[in-house]
Amino acid sequence: MFDRGAPRLVRAIWTLFSVHFALGIIAYLHFLVTGTYVWLGWFFVVAGSLFFLVMTATECWLAFTCRSWFDADEPMRLAWGMIAFAALARLAGVVIREVADGRLPWGPVQLRPLFSGVFANLGQMGLFVGGPLSMAFLAIGLGRVLQTQRRFRLRGPLTLGDRVLLVLIVAFSVSQLLINLSLLGGHPSPGTVLLWLSDPLLALLLIEAVLVRRAVVRIGQGLLAKCWGMFVMAIVTTSLGDAAIWANNHDLLSERLTALSWYIWFVAAAAFASAPAYQLAAISIVQEPNLRQPASR
Amino acid sequence: MSLLSRFQLRFRKGEGRLVASEPILLESASPSGLNDLTERLNRWGRLWSPAEDESEHTHAQRIVTRRLTGWMERCFGEHMPASLSGAGDPISLASSMPVLTAFLGRRATRELSRRVLRDV
Repeated sequence: MFDRGAPRLVRAIWTLFSVHFALGIIAYLHFLVTGTYVWLGWFFVVAGSLFFLVMTATECWLAFTCRSWFDADEPMRLAWGMIAFAALARLAGVVIREVADGRLPWGPVQLRPLFSGVFANLGQMGLFVGGPLSMAFLAIGLGRVLQTQRRFRLRGPLTLGDRVLLVLIVAFSVSQLLINLSLLGGHPSPGTVLLWLSDPLLALLLIEAVLVRRAVVRIGQGLLAKCWGMFVMAIVTTSLGDAAIWANNHDLLSERLTALSWYIWFVAAAAFASAPAYQLAAISIVQEPNLRQPASR
Repeated sequence: MSLLSRFQLRFRKGEGRLVASEPILLESASPSGLNDLTERLNRWGRLWSPAEDESEHTHAQRIVTRRLTGWMERCFGEHMPASLSGAGDPISLASSMPVLTAFLGRRATRELSRRVLRDV
């Protein structure tokens, strides 16, 4: 998943992911052998929740640190500010959902939702904050990155495959929008309508990911290229997770495959945390006092 | 906002009042001092952006190009120097500093340029 020369923080993130994933595989094997959800349930409720908390908190801290390295008049400050707010929203979403599910040491907490007129319950509010709200911040941040890449002509031309993929994304997004519009007659709650925004926002993020990937292909495998590559990986895995949820809702996945698809979200969380870690490594590498001058081939 | 605009803004707000000072007597510069300064500026100019028609690059220029190429590869990627140099010219401080400043920030780039120019 990562090379041996990866920055220390990135290595730490993926080592933690590997340990967590190994535990998850044990729980999954137990599920396959016994057919019960006891170990699997424990793994996702306790270890899974802790993993998401640690990863989103790390991502948030790293993204705000990256932002602090840019002055107020620098364009990438806004980009990293938006990415940091996206991480903060994802962290807040995880915490709100944990509180709503009552998965706390002191038991369930009865809280009235802050915007009770908008959201049906606290869980729905958590889904909105960690979903569409976070995606909107990330879309603005990546938009700024793309703008800066364009300014320096870092992006390569789109291939035929890219164009086909973009058309498919737009077509899927429009079809989802039409399905949702037809449901408006049933007077859904404002919270439900807000959650519908996740599909078009994810489509927008995928389009941005395709464009960012072109820059990564063009410039190679340096620290900043890997930072953008991690955002692409995180967005693609998030889309795969969403697709798995959609397939499960339409009874297209077996029980075993459904349980396996839940692991995708851990990859997305680790990739999201790795992106600012790579950017910070690129910034810090020039500050290291005993660093050797890089020699060119 | 440019430095001049900032000064004008502060001056309009009355923050920067002009204080009458004693007239400063400037000594006329010696011809050798001027030549030295001109030579330094030209050297820095050649280092910042080597002329396209320059047939032979100096040792300092080669060192700067090599170091810059190394940093660009490490920070961006192995194809970055080629995509930046365009028509095949070696990368220079002038061509690489804007993109480094944009993606690494002003402070990090200042430190990087210090490293690139060390002992040159």
